[in-house]
Amino acid sequence: MKNIVWLASYPKSGNTWFRMFLANYQKKSKNPLSFEEIESATISSNAVNFEDEIGLNPFELYQDEVDLYRPDMYHALSEKTEKEGIISYKKTHDAYTKNGEGVPLFPENISKCAVYFVRNPLDVCVSYANHSAGKIEKTVEFLLNETSFLAGKKKGQLRQILMSWKNHVQSWKNQSEITVHFVRYEDMLKKPLETFGEIVRFLGLEYDEGLIKKAIINSDFKTLQHMEQEKGFKEKMQKCEHFFWKGKIGNYREYLSEEQIQQIVTYNYDTMKEFGYINNEGKLTV
Amino acid sequence: MNFSILSDTINVKYEGNKIESSDSYIYTRPHFKIKEDDFFLDIKNVARYRVQGGQTILVDPYENTDKESVKLFLEGSALGALLHQRGILPFHSSSFLYKDKGIMVCGDSGAGKSSLTAAFFQQGASFINDDITPVSISDPEITIIPVKTQMKLWDDSLNKLNIGSNNLLRIRPKLNKFYLPMDKNISEHRLDQIFILSIHNKDEFMAIELKGIDKYNVLRNQIYRKVYLRGMPEIQKKYFKQLFLLAKNIPVIRVTRPNICEIDDTMRFIEKKIIL
Repeated sequence: MKNIVWLASYPKSGNTWFRMFLANYQKKSKNPLSFEEIESATISSNAVNFEDEIGLNPFELYQDEVDLYRPDMYHALSEKTEKEGIISYKKTHDAYTKNGEGVPLFPENISKCAVYFVRNPLDVCVSYANHSAGKIEKTVEFLLNETSFLAGKKKGQLRQILMSWKNHVQSWKNQSEITVHFVRYEDMLKKPLETFGEIVRFLGLEYDEGLIKKAIINSDFKTLQHMEQEKGFKEKMQKCEHFFWKGKIGNYREYLSEEQIQQIVTYNYDTMKEFGYINNEGKLTV
Repeated sequence: MNFSILSDTINVKYEGNKIESSDSYIYTRPHFKIKEDDFFLDIKNVARYRVQGGQTILVDPYENTDKESVKLFLEGSALGALLHQRGILPFHSSSFLYKDKGIMVCGDSGAGKSSLTAAFFQQGASFINDDITPVSISDPEITIIPVKTQMKLWDDSLNKLNIGSNNLLRIRPKLNKFYLPMDKNISEHRLDQIFILSIHNKDEFMAIELKGIDKYNVLRNQIYRKVYLRGMPEIQKKYFKQLFLLAKNIPVIRVTRPNICEIDDTMRFIEKKIIL
């Protein structure tokens, strides 16, 4: 049954923000819901889910071996929720890839669709450097490296192959197995009603403008920041001070050198242009 | 060959020919099939295992595999299936004897069970089990059963415990996780206390004693390879009663530690919670 929706993105691109919106929208909540509401809709690379369903310790498998079992992990999760008749929303930072047997990690026959959140890689870079408490120059390299991946070492989450920023985006764009709706982080911020409304329609959820407005307010960045200060957020890394840091458009100008900006732009030029971060004159739009 | 991992001897046969799985399994996935007394597991590029009647394990290694990997899954998932077939509740936990108290530390892979147990060992505790702890439960006796497997530790944990890895065997050729030989002369011992170890992204340690249905559910969640029980309804019924007795008789404390912390700090925190 096609009952899994993938909420896919490169890290720090609005995925968690959208999950908070969705939780508020689906529960028709009057007041902002707590982070616990989205913690049950776990990330697709959750190692506990893997061990529970596959019956193997993922950290005693080689990571390429783990990928051989991941499609079945999602089949098992789909079967479980099929009985409950619900749609599961799974956050993922994985690029769209195939395992060593040529099987896509995200099986077509259980995937309802995907929403892909894309954000200006220049802002992603500074936000990710803050998130991982890393140095900017290392993060620039990370965004441009075709072999970049997250986790998959000794504990925590399963390995997630990211590749470079541009090929992360393109991997989801170039596949034809799962229908994907692309959303720009900047549009979520600048024209929220229209952008969130389009996602609601794409997901086939009942469209209620009043509820969308309310859910946008309940998942407002300042609200999420405040909630994190009050109670903390599980997905924050221990060394990082705030998961919800600034969320601004064009924040990179305060942190990246001209040389770093050029490095990112040159490497990702076509994809940045495709998503409107570079205009027809070849100039940065933000 | 005989496999002396429990107090009795298990018949382990290395089959030259491919092991066939039968039909009529109750729960199947592409890589494993299970019913009450028969379990089939296919670890790609390592080996196929068939566990039958709580007595026999057939092993069929893939060509070009390595013996360390074959042993790892034999002493892990295959052993887990064998214990389930015998109706001996295996927990995903390490265990040790500290000041005459039988302690079991449960938790997800990566929670730090083995490192913690090794740290207690360095403080004079007797090591019982790593990763899998079978518990025999019959009112009023609740007993930890030692299995003859070794402790497995990552290189960074060994470093933190000031143990060199030069002479240690890797659990698999390309993993920096090693078997740590430890003295193990313990026979069955009473289980006195259970800790559930988990991780959060905050800087402080937390402890809470579990009660009621929450305690039962958390304990159930710690069963080793509980996914196999989907094909073992009779055993599942038996475990229901056993878990109830366990929850009724043994104190369970959930300890949440910082993701980044010293093993010694976790050990000291838990040491204070042990009821002596």
